[in-house]
Amino acid sequence: MKIAVVGSGLVGRLLAWQLSQHHQITLYDKDFKTAKHSAGFIAAAMLAPVAESVIASQLVVGLGQLSVKLWPNILSQLKQPVFYQQAGSLILAHAQDRGDLTSFCQRLKLQDGLTQVNSQQIAELEPQIQGRFHQGVWLENEAQIDNRALYQALLHALVNAGVQQIETTHADITDNRVYANGEQTDFDWVFDCRGLGAQVDLKKLRGVRGEVARVYAPEVKLNRPIRLLHPRYPIYIVPKPNHEYVIGATEIESDSDKAMTVRSALELLSAAYSVHSGFAEAQITSLDAGLRPSLPDNEPAIITDGKCIRINSLYRHGYLLAPAVIAHALNLFNQLSEQQTRYFYQAEQLSESHFSQLTGHFEGK
Amino acid sequence: MDNVNQAISDTWSIYGTELSSRLLIGSALYPSPAIMQESIKQSQAEVVTVSLRRQSPESAGGQAFWQQIQSLGKKILPNTAGCHSIQEAVTLAQMSREIFDTDWIKLELVGDEYNLQPDPIDLVKATEILLNDGFKVLPYCTDDLVICRHLVELGCEVLMPWGAPIGTGKGLLNPYALSAIRHRFPQISLVVDAGIGLPSHAAQALELGYDAVLLNSAIAQAQDPVMMAKAFKSAIDAGRLGYLGGRMPEKDTANPSTPTLGMPFWHQM
Repeated sequence: MKIAVVGSGLVGRLLAWQLSQHHQITLYDKDFKTAKHSAGFIAAAMLAPVAESVIASQLVVGLGQLSVKLWPNILSQLKQPVFYQQAGSLILAHAQDRGDLTSFCQRLKLQDGLTQVNSQQIAELEPQIQGRFHQGVWLENEAQIDNRALYQALLHALVNAGVQQIETTHADITDNRVYANGEQTDFDWVFDCRGLGAQVDLKKLRGVRGEVARVYAPEVKLNRPIRLLHPRYPIYIVPKPNHEYVIGATEIESDSDKAMTVRSALELLSAAYSVHSGFAEAQITSLDAGLRPSLPDNEPAIITDGKCIRINSLYRHGYLLAPAVIAHALNLFNQLSEQQTRYFYQAEQLSESHFSQLTGHFEGK
Repeated sequence: MDNVNQAISDTWSIYGTELSSRLLIGSALYPSPAIMQESIKQSQAEVVTVSLRRQSPESAGGQAFWQQIQSLGKKILPNTAGCHSIQEAVTLAQMSREIFDTDWIKLELVGDEYNLQPDPIDLVKATEILLNDGFKVLPYCTDDLVICRHLVELGCEVLMPWGAPIGTGKGLLNPYALSAIRHRFPQISLVVDAGIGLPSHAAQALELGYDAVLLNSAIAQAQDPVMMAKAFKSAIDAGRLGYLGGRMPEKDTANPSTPTLGMPFWHQM
């Protein structure tokens, strides 16, 4: 079939690649190469269903657990290697923020692989921050991905699969039609993965601003993501390959994507410094701000509109949700187009209740 | 029963605007805007506070989020949370007056970055500037009686002393000081703002004769914010009735209401 995927952020890329193995795909985006406006490119790409269960709904937690299972298989199918690590994550709080650690533990909806850790256990997990923290929580099943390598690997796979790329600053969708660069093209099916670009069709979609710092810190050796509890919001420090660390992220109810503010930079960087003084001499490689596309319930949605399937509102959980949400969307696509194509998931891994929640409440959206 | 209904329908005022709900509710830190909306509905609050400082108000960055709040049809009380200087607070107050079309402003000036304790000295100065500019200022202050007196002398008709530092949920740390403010300013609308963690803390504030409480985290960060919003609604009603009902005198020794006939005389010494 002839299919358009509009938007090549995390969801668009992953979906177009899967579809390209069975169909003729046209992918639309404003910027394939740098992807610098894409939330998934800016993000720290943690897979933390347990830690996120403090704020996330049961639906997000359940989909997240499925995604953690699906990612290794997805990455193994890509020709270019992508760093993936499942070494757990460590939740820490400075002595004066002990109350936040208690509150964090009380609000967890999921306790898988949770261990309360003391000074000595923290030192065993992360020798370089020995003595700085006296209490914490280790969530041993949590994982993370090198998202920038993933973006490159997926783009490479799309080129190899012969996916047609059309660069356009703006694309409109009506049923199975895409309007871009002054042209109208008809497809058998269209997938809308525009993120915030879909605001014209999903009126309740909003952006939630996030700011992230990336630093090159050869003096620092952390073995796994660390989440530092802070009176206002948690700050995480995520080690990537080649001594790169991603420090994020603020969460501000704003549609503004202006550059990072000084206050946010100070908060993020001083938090990192308070965990490991080796960050003092790190090089700041970028300070990015992006917008997370979100519906009012902050939950993902799959919305059918004639021959258009819209996937949106992954909010702050792009990596935690993308494989699971795409699996459900492809399952829906198989049903609607009366096919039984095999993609990267097993049908029995999908849950009826997740499916109905993802596709259920169009009116509200 | 009539008395009960009458008590619940009694009102208080913010600069002449009559209100029957004695809960002012914040709009930050909820798991999602949908849960925020439902919590606010269940709390039956009539006033919702909104923070603008970090949302790029100059370009209306928070528009989509503000619309969710405005769609509830409540009165909006913009705040200056996150402002550290008089100039910042004044500028933000002016911006929020335009965005929300209201002359109410909850004036919050951070004096200590860590526990967000208000700066009492700059607060008084900024209050004067804003009152002169036509604002109806609701200052977030500590429980210092003298600072409160300065604010009242400037013309504040509402004072909002803290129960405890923002977000701590410790309840009323100094009921004595709060009580003293109540007794000294019977004509002023008094709101306990910040530090409330439990419905019982809110009830206590109302029992002290406070007109209302303002809170955010206690509901937004609860395990079930919507249920907690209902709990606060009930507690605030209870606290108000408790105040109107008039407490019995407190005593240091037990005073049995029935004679202790069955007790041996050596126990009655």
